[in-house]
Amino acid sequence: MQISEELVRQIILDVLKQEQGEGKPAKRQDEQVPPLSFKELGPAKTGTDRNEVVIGVPPAFGTHMTKTIIDIPHREVLKELFAGIEEEGVKARLVRVNRTADVGAVAHDAAVLSGSGIGIGILCRGTTVIHQRDLEILQNLELFPQSPLVDKDALRAIGRNAAKYAKGEHPSPVPTRNDPMARPKYQGLAALLHNKETQYVKPGAPSTELSVQL
Amino acid sequence: MAKRQKRFLVLADRPVNKDGFIKEWIDVGLVAMDSPNDPKPSIKIENGVVVELDGKRREDFDMIDTFIADHCVDKSVAQEAMAIDSLKFARMLVDINCPRSELVRLSVGLTPAKVVSILRELNVVELMMAMQKLRSRKTPMNQAHVTNLKDSAPLLAADAAEAAYRGFAEIETTVGVVRYAPMNAMSLLVGGQTGRPGVLAQCAVEEALELSMGMRGLTHYAETVSVYGTEQVFVDGDDTPWSKSFLASAYASRGLKMRYTSGTGSEVQMGYAEGKSMLYLEVRCIMVTKGAGVQGLQNGSISCIGVPGSVPGGIKTVLAENVATVLMNLEVASGNDQTFTHSIERNTARMLMQFLPGTDFIFSGYAAEPNYDNMFAGSTHDVDDYDDYLVLQRDLQVDGGLIPVTEEGVIAVRNKAARALQAVFDELGLPAITDEEVELATYAHGTKDIGDRNVPEDLRAIDEFMKRGGTGLDVVRALAKRGFKDIAESVLRMQIGKVAGDYLQTSAVYTEKFEVLSAINDPNDYEGPGTGYRLQGERWEKLKNIPQAIDPKDI
Repeated sequence: MQISEELVRQIILDVLKQEQGEGKPAKRQDEQVPPLSFKELGPAKTGTDRNEVVIGVPPAFGTHMTKTIIDIPHREVLKELFAGIEEEGVKARLVRVNRTADVGAVAHDAAVLSGSGIGIGILCRGTTVIHQRDLEILQNLELFPQSPLVDKDALRAIGRNAAKYAKGEHPSPVPTRNDPMARPKYQGLAALLHNKETQYVKPGAPSTELSVQL
Repeated sequence: MAKRQKRFLVLADRPVNKDGFIKEWIDVGLVAMDSPNDPKPSIKIENGVVVELDGKRREDFDMIDTFIADHCVDKSVAQEAMAIDSLKFARMLVDINCPRSELVRLSVGLTPAKVVSILRELNVVELMMAMQKLRSRKTPMNQAHVTNLKDSAPLLAADAAEAAYRGFAEIETTVGVVRYAPMNAMSLLVGGQTGRPGVLAQCAVEEALELSMGMRGLTHYAETVSVYGTEQVFVDGDDTPWSKSFLASAYASRGLKMRYTSGTGSEVQMGYAEGKSMLYLEVRCIMVTKGAGVQGLQNGSISCIGVPGSVPGGIKTVLAENVATVLMNLEVASGNDQTFTHSIERNTARMLMQFLPGTDFIFSGYAAEPNYDNMFAGSTHDVDDYDDYLVLQRDLQVDGGLIPVTEEGVIAVRNKAARALQAVFDELGLPAITDEEVELATYAHGTKDIGDRNVPEDLRAIDEFMKRGGTGLDVVRALAKRGFKDIAESVLRMQIGKVAGDYLQTSAVYTEKFEVLSAINDPNDYEGPGTGYRLQGERWEKLKNIPQAIDPKDI
């Protein structure tokens, strides 16, 4: 039997709604988050400013997809990351990584473009990595693999820590969180969201410099 | 609905309804074992070269097809094996009169689509029968996860000791913070040998670091060398079947046991399943493993279990992939290592699929810590399930690899392991483990019961240890100097084992006397009732004697 993507999504959302119980308003599928208005500034360039952190986002971020797996609008995601970085007196630069939606690769591409060598990669659903250009792609400085646990506080702290690494400091890593029940609840949905996200990947395409009005 | 039926309200609140279920979505491969996009079995061989595999001509092969055709398929048995009707082959899998050796001989003549078409003929009970008959090592065993949320070294050492003492043959750690890896590995090295000499330990992190730790003697084996069933997912992992084979050889050349990891659902999870069923793609992984000459595989969906777990027939498929692995004469570490449900019923039912027939490692990670401390994102069973598990073994007379223990015994090994690690840290100039930390780790349930260590200080110190070329021998020296002669001896014996290399054989583990037990000297000889592994004699006496059972003599 063939089922449309829309229908599968609806089923999952219904299951999630049930799970949230009667007390809480089930807001996720009702609230459509509008896309962000990005300005594309041409091919991304390698920075020379050692006082910057580059944030890399995958192709569908803020455009075809607009919120994380726990419904944080992508606008808020960027606001928190920017704020965290700027709190440490470091500049943030945004690039779209078009060639992949693999979080390690997105983060590493960002790090390679960064004047400080420090980059953040974040997927549409919220999975995040802080990377450094001299590390292997599958290594990282800090990894936040469970997207349902990446909330606003975590995002702000991730921005702050990335900035501290850029300044050559050795920050305490953002406290690791763990929810053993995230998988049964969210993994099917995460697979679905990732399949959607990868449809927009353009293999071999260069990254794009972005500006955005938050 | 305006008015809810009260039974439905109760049902809606049941844990099982917190799980995510998905109807099949075939276009992207959200389907367990039967997709219309799966190829039909076929093979053509010309001049000793496979020129057609499962309906695809050689010039159209992707790199996985090429690798399987050139390195897994045995051209001398392919025609014979492929000519056997799939249903007939399926019956041979469960026929006690058809020996394992015959099936293993034929297995390398099969193509991926053929294996899938055979497995589709079996129901779950038949799959369990096939597993009982086909697993590589006669004696079933078990692997534990030893991790915690704070990467606390003394707690890791204590937990490793308890896990080894309770009977786990292998223990595996990973990290919250990547740079902690060598310190976590060291904690398991010391703790594991304290709990039971000969236990194998590993630290699952990024592959280059993992290999480096193995070569330095901080670990004994590795299993998180991942392979995938589609080319794009391989490429996303920055790898090919050849680069993975190279890595496998690197481990083997240094005397380190290793197995690959794969599992249903990973390709669709990563967005590139090409519309194929999860089982078809997984069988390709199994055949890549066989082709690489690697002795074993961790599969059973593993970290993607939420994906097959959400579609119809998914948990049956997970057993089917384990069976395909042992059919290829590989060691299997059969999953059960990741939470996939809120429902205790589903959880136990899923585990029985491997527990009842027995596998080389029933769990490829039973949580030897409370699940909140499990840094593999939670296992199906944790420390709070120990007694349930021991009772299941006793109820069903099944050897699940764990032995009943006493509280006094556990306290003693936990304390000794934490003290031993304290001494090692002191000798190696690592940040001190205080007496209070030893005491807290000894009696802790999990990290909620212990304090915080100074993380940046720990990281700086272990970085420095690695930079100055620290190895397992430094640990041996420190233990010996500080009076932990028995642990020093065990840690050293494990290093000697790497030079001998005997534990590189399929399904190998060490006994507490450092004898290797593997598919070579402990081969599975199951051929029906009265044969194969039987839980009896001394072992059954040990397993049935749980401390909480009342002794009639005492009343």
